[in-house]
Amino acid sequence: MVRLITHNLLACHVKNCTSNNFPLAFKDLGDTSLPAEQPDMIDDEFLQKLHHVLLEIHVEEGSMVCPNCNHVYPISNGIPNMLLAEHEIG
Amino acid sequence: MPTRYLFVFAQAHVDFRIPELVSIAELNGFAIIFPDIPEERDPTRPFMILGLEEDEHARILARRCILVKSIYQFYARGSSYEEMHERNRDVRSQWSQYIPDTSFKFVIDGYNRSITQSRQREIINSFSYMAMMGKIDMNNPQIILGCFEERAFHSRRTSKDPALLQVYFGRLIEEGSARSLIRRFDVKRREYFGNTSMEAEMSLLMANQTLASPGKLIYDPFVGTGSMVYTTAHFGAQVFGSDIDGRQMRGKDKQPGIIRAATQYGVASRIMDLCTFDVTNNPWRCGELFDAIVTDPPYGVRAGAKRLGRKKERQFLQRSTCPQPNDAPYIHPTKPYELSNLASDLVVLARYMLKPGGRLVFFLPTVTDEYDQLDIDSMLCEGMTVIANSLQDFGSWGRRLVTIRKTTTAKFSVPSFDADSIETGHVPAHKGFRDKFFQGFRKDAQDTAEAES
Ligand SMILES: C[S@@+](CC[C@H](N)C(=O)[O-])C[C@H]1O[C@@H](n2cnc3c(N)ncnc32)[C@H](O)[C@@H]1O
Ligand SMILES: [Zn+2]
Repeated sequence: MVRLITHNLLACHVKNCTSNNFPLAFKDLGDTSLPAEQPDMIDDEFLQKLHHVLLEIHVEEGSMVCPNCNHVYPISNGIPNMLLAEHEIG
Repeated sequence: MPTRYLFVFAQAHVDFRIPELVSIAELNGFAIIFPDIPEERDPTRPFMILGLEEDEHARILARRCILVKSIYQFYARGSSYEEMHERNRDVRSQWSQYIPDTSFKFVIDGYNRSITQSRQREIINSFSYMAMMGKIDMNNPQIILGCFEERAFHSRRTSKDPALLQVYFGRLIEEGSARSLIRRFDVKRREYFGNTSMEAEMSLLMANQTLASPGKLIYDPFVGTGSMVYTTAHFGAQVFGSDIDGRQMRGKDKQPGIIRAATQYGVASRIMDLCTFDVTNNPWRCGELFDAIVTDPPYGVRAGAKRLGRKKERQFLQRSTCPQPNDAPYIHPTKPYELSNLASDLVVLARYMLKPGGRLVFFLPTVTDEYDQLDIDSMLCEGMTVIANSLQDFGSWGRRLVTIRKTTTAKFSVPSFDADSIETGHVPAHKGFRDKFFQGFRKDAQDTAEAES
């Protein structure tokens, strides 16, 4: 599924990739329902949008890419594959 | 003043009874008062008299605890019927309100010896001094009065008439209803399962140990086919699962097997996500995310413990040979992961990933004859405290469901999964469990195996 809340909890974990390794970039995800900045007033309307974005949007196929080292984590049938290759582990 | 209640337990998993009660009481913010005398709180006995503040607490326990058969308001007991009746007369004020006009029925049951119909009638008649005026209603009575015989354990050969230990009498508060979940979560009737699936009753007991409830976030880092995901989600928690082997979570169809089974149980929306990774090389961005971690770690009998990397001796050989063709999916090399290291690493990981007060609930297989309390203690780390440790006994081996609470609010650095490099000086009985298992736990076989390795 890869909900955005999950995407928020994961970072690139390739060996020595320790800065600018979050958030991983989704390929093609154009949701703009949330404002760029946290609003001063947290009302129900905002909370509903937040709920929608965090829990209701999921990515079934695609990938997440590390903004730092460009490692590609593929997603298939909604399950991201975060396994690293041998030379990538510490 | 707490009231006393008679708990009738289901005949299963005796070592899990008290931890389950204590967990569900904690989840609901009330206390259970246990008897002071050890024999009176002996978990192997089928009846226990416990103190609760109010009937509602008894109802909560009966609706959620898998091992509770029923809960009665306690009236009297004795080592003979005469003694029980005498005491029941003394507490007349507790039941006199039901005398004039309350429909009722009696339930008579025996533990370790069944009671014949005619003897049941005799027992019911022996309560005639209560002079209940209401009508007897077998189908829909206003109250149910229960009388239970506890007899000594006996083998068929020794005695047909095992000694009467205790007779109990009380009024039914609530019939346990959580046991029906065992059928609901029956692995055989599940949309998706595998040979590592945990049986339903255990998955439910594990879920209760996590204090699963709405608003909680729970994680299984060795999720496999997801057995504990369904039960924790059933109780309202959001659940996250990961496994080194995506096929375990997926199965054969396009829609992942865990999602199919979760849909069958109506909890698919509570599966936060599933993810493929080696928990010892995990992508968690930060710690303190979860209210509980519940898991059945791989102990090598069915699903061997492994982690990314190569066996040291073969490193050189394999690195220089077998290049992967570019178009083939990358096959991750793995090396075995020794159980006692895995267990210690898991506790450190849980301390990092749990919120303060969170729980780690996991199984640890062990060799029955060699088990020592130190086996558990030696895998703990600062800030992690064992609050329950229940044995499921299979004879020469068993497994322990260990519940650990994170008792610290300190911050910890990212775990390094290097328990294999720490020398504790204690060799736990679960060390090398896989080898011991396949050698049938024979001491001589182990000695030769050790000499050879
Ligand atoms: C005993 S099974 C868990 C079974 C699960 N409770 C179920 O209901 O199917 C252990 C699982 O751990 C996985 N595993 C083994 N080593 C691992 C590692 N280093 N990281 C993550 N998962 C691992 C195996 O693929 C296996 O699915
Ligand atoms: Zn990276």
